[in-house]
Amino acid sequence: MRRWALLAAVAIAAIACGGSTTGGPTTGSTIVLGAPLGLTGSLTKESILTQQGYNLWQDWINARGGIVVNNVKHPVTIKYYDDTSNANQSAVLMQKLITEDKANFLLGPYGSAATATDAAIAEQNEIPMVEANGAAQSIFNQGYKYTFGVLSPANKYLQGVIDMAATLSPKPTTIAMLSADDNFSLEVAEGVNTYAATKGLNVVLYKKYKNGATNLSAEVQAAKAANADIVLNSGHLQEAIAINKAAKEQKVNAKIFAYSVGPSTPDFITALGKDADYVYGGSQWTPQVKYTPAFYLSVAEYVAAYKAKYPGLGDPDYHVAESTAACLALQRAIEKAGSLDPKKVRDALAALDVTVFFGQVKFDSRGINIYKPMVVEQIQNGAHHTVFPDSVADAKPQYPTPAWDQR
Amino acid sequence: MAAFVQLVILGLLAGGVYVAVGVGFGLVWGVLNIVNLAHGALVIVGGYITWQLFTAFGLDPFLTLPVDAVALFVLGYALQRGVINRIIRAPLLFTFLLTFGLNLVIVNILLLIFGSDFRSVTPTYSGQGFEIGGIVVPYVRLTSLGAAILLSAGLAFLLSRTRIGLAIHAIAADRDAAQLVGIDLRHAYAVTYGLGAACAGVAGGLIAMIQAITPTAGEPYTLQAFVVVILGGLGRVSATVVGGLAFGLVEAFGQSIPGSGSVFANAIAFGLMVLVLVTRPQGLMGRLR
Repeated sequence: MRRWALLAAVAIAAIACGGSTTGGPTTGSTIVLGAPLGLTGSLTKESILTQQGYNLWQDWINARGGIVVNNVKHPVTIKYYDDTSNANQSAVLMQKLITEDKANFLLGPYGSAATATDAAIAEQNEIPMVEANGAAQSIFNQGYKYTFGVLSPANKYLQGVIDMAATLSPKPTTIAMLSADDNFSLEVAEGVNTYAATKGLNVVLYKKYKNGATNLSAEVQAAKAANADIVLNSGHLQEAIAINKAAKEQKVNAKIFAYSVGPSTPDFITALGKDADYVYGGSQWTPQVKYTPAFYLSVAEYVAAYKAKYPGLGDPDYHVAESTAACLALQRAIEKAGSLDPKKVRDALAALDVTVFFGQVKFDSRGINIYKPMVVEQIQNGAHHTVFPDSVADAKPQYPTPAWDQR
Repeated sequence: MAAFVQLVILGLLAGGVYVAVGVGFGLVWGVLNIVNLAHGALVIVGGYITWQLFTAFGLDPFLTLPVDAVALFVLGYALQRGVINRIIRAPLLFTFLLTFGLNLVIVNILLLIFGSDFRSVTPTYSGQGFEIGGIVVPYVRLTSLGAAILLSAGLAFLLSRTRIGLAIHAIAADRDAAQLVGIDLRHAYAVTYGLGAACAGVAGGLIAMIQAITPTAGEPYTLQAFVVVILGGLGRVSATVVGGLAFGLVEAFGQSIPGSGSVFANAIAFGLMVLVLVTRPQGLMGRLR
């Protein structure tokens, strides 16, 4: 009984306080966002980075009372489910989030495979999904109207490396491409294969391997036999580590080693130690980029906020940043729409054009952000440095990569 | 020619890991008639022990292998005695369910302790090797193959020359008769599973040096161990050695097919397994029972 009395007193006090700020925004209903993530299974690492990015924004927006819609503040909760890194399960959970948890809007899962299955669910239910971790263009070539990706599409992942290579001296001329056989990796690889010729580079080896392979000795052997100046990998963290290890073991001395996914994560450096040096990676974002944000935090403030919430993990990598950017895009669209109506917010997303710490967020007619450039990172003395394009770089590329026995 | 020899060497070296993963799996399968779906998880436990000892104390990863073996033996003994023994005479499906559950539990405990970060043991000599006539032989992989062969030899010796080994053989032949002559079944079962786990632990230590590990990295190894044991044949350690090396070779040559050949490396290995099952169901080296 006493507890009820106390609760009532608190409630009355809260109402009184609310009343005293007449004219300011009032607090409205809570906005529920739904996101299935691979919190267990093979994509745990990347999924947790995604979740960190979402949570950083959730803390920030709720510290401000929520998203302001027509002068009413709506607090935000993000509802997560574990899809066990299984794309089909992700779609099932997305539907559950919509029907059972009454999610107002959706945030993407991790990875192109799950994003593709979830996009279909968003479309059927006509609820916008803003995603940050599915870069395969095949997701956006289905004519979907409710899926928006804030990140650069897959075919651009390694184009920065090609652009950079064209500026180096002595100019590298040949490329060996080792690609995993999943949709996303193949798009990255095909993107390079068609783009390289326009920059005067020649793909002399294009080899596909099974997604998730841990033993890539024979593939690396083929790259050695091809004697390519540039060894590219379009795959995932595990495979990038395997290729780098095999390259050292088999004394493959290319001028450039560049991997689509992996080098940007701290794990790549901790797993490989000094063997990680000189490796290049395409990156959606780095803590060194220089963009002028229209709202939310600056790049430096974002890095500081991440380190305060997740101490001991180093700088946020691009998975974290792009995930936060997805939330920002959704927030701005809801504000612009002035409504929680899914269709109005969808239209506001389609018309969105805003620059945040992550770069420009704007969607083409398919819903993917082709306007933000990719940057190139290089690991130098165990630390990440942005080396291309010059306008955002904080270091020069260390080129060519020294032979393994001369390091 | 040099490329061919290099490929053979790479295949055999990779096979060393498959041998190490396969022997423990084969022992448990052959004696206890359990297809141990938790085998890959036990492998990764060994990997984490090696990683922990290497990063915390700077211990040479090869010196940690005995620690892996002892720790995993204890864990395996306890698992068999406390959990698996309860369903040892139940239909095969129950053992599948139980070991699959154990796999989930172990993987998630590892996730809680170590997180999902990728870890790798990178000693100073990692990636180095010697070269003869353009053929590169990396030290770590060569020593791993040696360790796997040594492990198999040790296991074979234990099974054929010691009292408990003979007891295990007796159980594999006829468990009721073995019990009649006074063999303590529960103890012998637990020792068998413990030995299988110890082999898995050593394999994990080797794998931590060769690739990056995460708590979920063990799953493919359960499958590979299955193929290796079928290829070689159930019931003899030497057969598993042949199966493991054959699997490594098939994989290497599968990967070296130009273009998208690598994608089918696994398919080729499994195709070979089916072929062996059809034409020589006892395996390349196995005896009919």
